[in-house]
Amino acid sequence: MSGFLIRRVAGALIVMWAVATLVFFMLRAVPGDPLAAMLFDVGDPAAAEHLRVKFGLDRPVYVQYVKWFWLVLQGDLGTSIYGSRVEVTRIIAEAFPRTLSLTLLAFLFAVVIAVPAGLISAMYKHSRLDHTVTVAAFIGLSMPDFWLGILLIIVFAANLQWLPAIGYAELSEGFWPWLSHLILPAIAAGAAFSAVIARMIRSSMLEVLKTDYVQVARSKGLRKWRIILVHAFPNALIPVVTVMGIVVALLMAAAVVVENVFAIKGLGRVLIEGILNRDYPVVQGVILVISGIFVFVNLAVDLLYGVIDPRIRYD
Amino acid sequence: MTKNDKTVSGKQKARMKAAFDDAHDFDPRDPMFGLGRTDLSGPRLERRTVLRLMAAAGTLTAAHLLPGASMKTAQAAGGTLRAGWSGVGEFRTLDPAQINQVLLFQIASNVLSGLTHINPQLVAEGDLAVDWTPNEDGTEYVFNLREGVTFHNGDPFTADDVIFTFKRSQDPESSIHSRVIANIADIEKLGDHKIKMILKAPQASLFVKTLERSSGRAMTIVSRGGLGQLGASQYGLTPIGTGPFRATEHKLGQAITLERFDDYYDPDRPKLDKVTIQPIIDPEPLAAAIEAGDIDIIGGNPIAAELTDRFEANPELTVNIVAAPGFQSVWMNPHREPFKVSDFNKPLEELMQEKGFKVRLALAKAIDRELFIKQAQFDRGTPAFGTINPAMGFFFDEELGETSNQKFDLEEAQRLLADAGFPGGEGFPTLKIIHTPSTRRECQVIKGILKRNLNIDIQLDTKDFPVLIDEFDRMDWDLTRLGSGGDFDPDDGLVDWMQSVSKFNGRTRDKDKYPFGFFSSDEVDGLIQQQAVTPDPEARRDLVQQANRITSDKVASAFVFHPADVLVYRKSVNFPAESRIPGLVDLDRVTLA
Repeated sequence: MSGFLIRRVAGALIVMWAVATLVFFMLRAVPGDPLAAMLFDVGDPAAAEHLRVKFGLDRPVYVQYVKWFWLVLQGDLGTSIYGSRVEVTRIIAEAFPRTLSLTLLAFLFAVVIAVPAGLISAMYKHSRLDHTVTVAAFIGLSMPDFWLGILLIIVFAANLQWLPAIGYAELSEGFWPWLSHLILPAIAAGAAFSAVIARMIRSSMLEVLKTDYVQVARSKGLRKWRIILVHAFPNALIPVVTVMGIVVALLMAAAVVVENVFAIKGLGRVLIEGILNRDYPVVQGVILVISGIFVFVNLAVDLLYGVIDPRIRYD
Repeated sequence: MTKNDKTVSGKQKARMKAAFDDAHDFDPRDPMFGLGRTDLSGPRLERRTVLRLMAAAGTLTAAHLLPGASMKTAQAAGGTLRAGWSGVGEFRTLDPAQINQVLLFQIASNVLSGLTHINPQLVAEGDLAVDWTPNEDGTEYVFNLREGVTFHNGDPFTADDVIFTFKRSQDPESSIHSRVIANIADIEKLGDHKIKMILKAPQASLFVKTLERSSGRAMTIVSRGGLGQLGASQYGLTPIGTGPFRATEHKLGQAITLERFDDYYDPDRPKLDKVTIQPIIDPEPLAAAIEAGDIDIIGGNPIAAELTDRFEANPELTVNIVAAPGFQSVWMNPHREPFKVSDFNKPLEELMQEKGFKVRLALAKAIDRELFIKQAQFDRGTPAFGTINPAMGFFFDEELGETSNQKFDLEEAQRLLADAGFPGGEGFPTLKIIHTPSTRRECQVIKGILKRNLNIDIQLDTKDFPVLIDEFDRMDWDLTRLGSGGDFDPDDGLVDWMQSVSKFNGRTRDKDKYPFGFFSSDEVDGLIQQQAVTPDPEARRDLVQQANRITSDKVASAFVFHPADVLVYRKSVNFPAESRIPGLVDLDRVTLA
């Protein structure tokens, strides 16, 4: 097990390094000078030159890369080129809890909707109920998250005024303020994924329900719900958990759009603005963190297999 | 005066009215407010002088004129104002030395002070400067600074802070605005609250542009102690100044909190206890937020034009529209066919014979600005024919719309295009217009108008702002849709855009290949230089309008529109007229019902 872990962690670090390196060079290949945009209103060549030297942008790209990588190894992601030159680690530290809150709530929403929907759909295969769940799933899949977000804001914030339209409240401000600001974004981000998970549960359950041990359980006269929940569902979970792992990662990506709509300054928005402003240190730092989340969530999913199915061993 | 009517006799009322009228009896363009040196000298100021200065600062009320009235009136009304800042994802900095966007100095103007601050007529009034006296040739000014002012951290404000700010802004390590104060040779301390400012040359825009607390930035007074305490990075997030509000919290990208500064130099301001400002980048959530009552007021970038009608139809909202200080243009590259112009110095008659100039003029004349404003701006804005905008009032040329060479004239535009070898648009190349995502709609409207009127095809090419600026600076474009905001002084339009050496005028171009940027005229350069050193407002206006007219006639760009400044707030917000400065969102006099 420990050998497996070491190999996977080493692999994860290599993936993170490769992604960060690729992003580093791609960013510099993209047209657009960060300083020209920042100093557009100023038009002072001396100021531009000073900043270029200060941020090392006057050096060859490979020198910039070596310097950046050396600092990353020491835990220093640099400072934003723009404005107050805030440290990238601080920007990420403030944004990450917002994205994490949104992602977890969206995931929770997706799972809470998907599990019963998938189970019902599998149990009542080809019934009206199954068709209804299927249609609902396709609607959920078809709705772009930004559109659903705006729709939710118009209905629940602007018209009914039940929930805040925009913004984020930290947990320290109270549970309800935190939750109320996240309900609509979580639904917007999670809706499509609840459909994906529900469809996955349905097909996985249908496979399991055909197996011999389920037939034996039925012939023994066990109750339907007991067969489903105790015997079939755990065995149907392996492919579902794989999808869920991917969903967590994809939710991070969905957060980019949803955060924009709901004015939540999470990692997604930090990243988008970093790209638009060509704020190299910010983009590099955020990509490093997001790639880390991706690979380590996948690692966690792999480890979860062993918990769900004790027959799986990592030796 | 209604509140005190019962206790004030008719005679007293007449006397108060006379005093009120006398206090306001000055030319708003006069930097001395009609006061002489003797009025402003001496250890004590006459009551008349004090009232005049208060009137000039916009703080004179009937209460000050009541017999035996103290100059101190009732305290603030209190409450928390929740503001949403449009079209922005984060407030990158509020350090004036680093601010590069109007929406940022809108906030900074509530926290920091300058020597002067503009009023709704864009006339400079004393802020931390009580008064100023020029020497004979206008190259030296002696400023008396406000006494008893403290920074938010308790440090007293003195002449040393002005000198510190000046030195800091000169240093490219700390500031990006050294160019703004390039004309200030030195600042000498004459006393704790008295300075002498020595200029390299007289500067007409000194008070409205350079020393102004919001747009000026280079001389917006920063706190020495605050910078030492917080460090430059944190200072940019929660700056310490002497303004009406102090920045108490800044959650990166989420919100900034301002709280009432109890020791502000004007005891009657600010009225509010607290202001929270959230950046909201997308228009629909912004609209929903104010409609739902999540926010009380919208500041920041101009709101999406299509929202204004919707807000006006909402009985819970007030839509307050004034002319915005800016212009928007379609730029035509004079180094590329079919707009090629070898030399803008040629007399207009001679230029009119050139093929490239005819094409430029044809396009400029074919843009039906009224139609454009209707379709792209939902009927809000003013047709533009130059950089001088209507918010500048006194300097704006009302006649230019009728007299400019660019005046909409379809037949003439079609004739010019035919003369240039493109009858009915035949053989005209398909041109690209580069623009940012936010101006796509405007470019679509321009494309439609030019297709309909001249039968020419324009291809839209959307670019991120850094890419657009990079290409614009290098003169690597056919057409560009770009303009200016926060233009409070004629220099903001003329010096910044229309001089051969203007900061926006092809600054990174290959100078061997392109000897000038998008426009260059010796005559215009001369007029701009002359107006910049002409203190007499009337004489300056003549020079400004002459320069503006030439840039219009010689088609420096196809000037399209001056935007409207649309301020939206809920009915519960009282935004007084004296705070309604175009382009700014000063909250110190704002109250909540």
